[in-house]
Amino acid sequence: MNAPLFFQGRNPFDDPVDRILAEIAMSSQLPPGLHNKATQRFKAAREHLEADARFEGDVEHFYPQGSMAIDATISTRGTDNEYDLDFITQLGGRFRSMQPLAILKEIEDAYRNYPVQKVARQTRCVTLYYADNMHLDITPALRAYGRLDREGWITHAKGPNASTDDHLVDMNAYGFIAWYRERTPTEQRLAKAMRDHWLAMDKALQAAEVDEVPEQCNFIVKNTATLALQLLKRFRNIGYANYSGRIPPSVMLSYYAGMAAQPDMSLSDMMIRQATWIIGDIEQASRYGRLLHVANPICERDVFTDRWPTSIAQQNEFAKMLKDLVAGIQAAKRGDMAPNKLMDWLRHGFGDRVVTLAADRMADEIGGSVERAEQGYGRRGGIILPSAASIAAVAAPSIVRAQPHTFFGEKI
Amino acid sequence: MAGALSLDEQRAAMKATWPKFNERGIDRQTQEIRWIGKCRPQFVTYTLEIRYQLLKYPKVRVLTPELVRMPDNPEGAIPHVYPPADDPTLCLFDPAQHQWDPTMYIATTTVPWSYDWLACYELWLMTGRWTGGGRHGSLVTNNGAEA
Repeated sequence: MNAPLFFQGRNPFDDPVDRILAEIAMSSQLPPGLHNKATQRFKAAREHLEADARFEGDVEHFYPQGSMAIDATISTRGTDNEYDLDFITQLGGRFRSMQPLAILKEIEDAYRNYPVQKVARQTRCVTLYYADNMHLDITPALRAYGRLDREGWITHAKGPNASTDDHLVDMNAYGFIAWYRERTPTEQRLAKAMRDHWLAMDKALQAAEVDEVPEQCNFIVKNTATLALQLLKRFRNIGYANYSGRIPPSVMLSYYAGMAAQPDMSLSDMMIRQATWIIGDIEQASRYGRLLHVANPICERDVFTDRWPTSIAQQNEFAKMLKDLVAGIQAAKRGDMAPNKLMDWLRHGFGDRVVTLAADRMADEIGGSVERAEQGYGRRGGIILPSAASIAAVAAPSIVRAQPHTFFGEKI
Repeated sequence: MAGALSLDEQRAAMKATWPKFNERGIDRQTQEIRWIGKCRPQFVTYTLEIRYQLLKYPKVRVLTPELVRMPDNPEGAIPHVYPPADDPTLCLFDPAQHQWDPTMYIATTTVPWSYDWLACYELWLMTGRWTGGGRHGSLVTNNGAEA
């Protein structure tokens, strides 16, 4: 029989260390219910702009970029329930001859009476703030004709007045997303495991809020590289929670996730691989007294590190954080950390609330499985949970299923 | 007890099911046997000792690492064990429910139940909650069998 031409990936819920990491990712991600809301808001924002007389016929494209486009959205830095979603609006017509600040102001004006809590013009985008802590960043772009599809420039202008510092910045977000997707194909086993767990979690949340459960969920992490990327972003967000300046950019981390992607790796190994790749590049740059330089692989003028790092010390600090992350994951994989110490380390790296939620879910699921005697054990005593046990028992008769029993004894 | 498995039957089942457990002494006179083995149900590797004297309840201890105590926890400093506090044995079943008797294989009851205990113990350390069920009660003896 020929080998299949696609990779299944690994179910992160089959391994305890990967499981707690996956649970943490789930607690940090944009929940499926909110994703549906984000999709509706994206559609409404686009239609609003297209209906504005000043933009009529000049909105050439309106599409998601960044984490929204690669299913890697996690809560914003310093928060557990705020989400930034990024969109590009490619403008043509009269906008092609306008200055960056004028374009940004025009978009700000278009949304002035939009039904959101606040509209704010930033240096490169206009942000719509919703009452439920969702933020939509709308970045205007101009197409560079003669180059790749949707390649062009985005606006950069601090305002409030026009300045000689205002300029257009090269970008090809669309091409980068295509590059990332090509390098990180769907791993069916992982995608199904994440989907099942997400829907179960979302159902529980929705039930608690007496809301309807979405019938369809298209927003699923489809491969281990992206799941590891979410965790690296979360780790960065917590590490820099009290910083006021710029932090290692998400698009740079996405680049490394794409570069390091390799099918059928475990989640923990993938995190180590991505982090080690970044550490290597930073150390190489620092060795020669250079700043880390990462560009869009399909548009070298689109520099992902144009605003971070600004010093060698800054990049070395991030490398040090990543080394601590790698050392911690490796210790957990070796079994060198007692579970209470593991929790301390996870809380420090990924945040108290999400780690507590993740461990609680794990405890409820595994404890329930023990109570119902649904799990099995391999020859080395490794727990095999119900989802895998039924399959494993067929393939490996050495799996021992525990008979029902009731813990007894004293509290000492 | 009618139908009780012999020590040799228990030994054979342990050897076939859990190759990582080694016999560390059998006393034919007292009908007693001891196994030591390593396992890693979830996060940490443990060394377990199982002692069994024919017709009595098996006793399971965690030899390494030392069990972590949480003195202020509502479940106790360590839940679901038998004293002494400095050398506890795991309490894996409720004697009142007759969940174990000498007609049962240690390999398919005591060992996986010990792994269950370790899994729940680790999650208890992580969350402060014992989610594997059970009830607390004092030591019960049953026909001279010491739990």
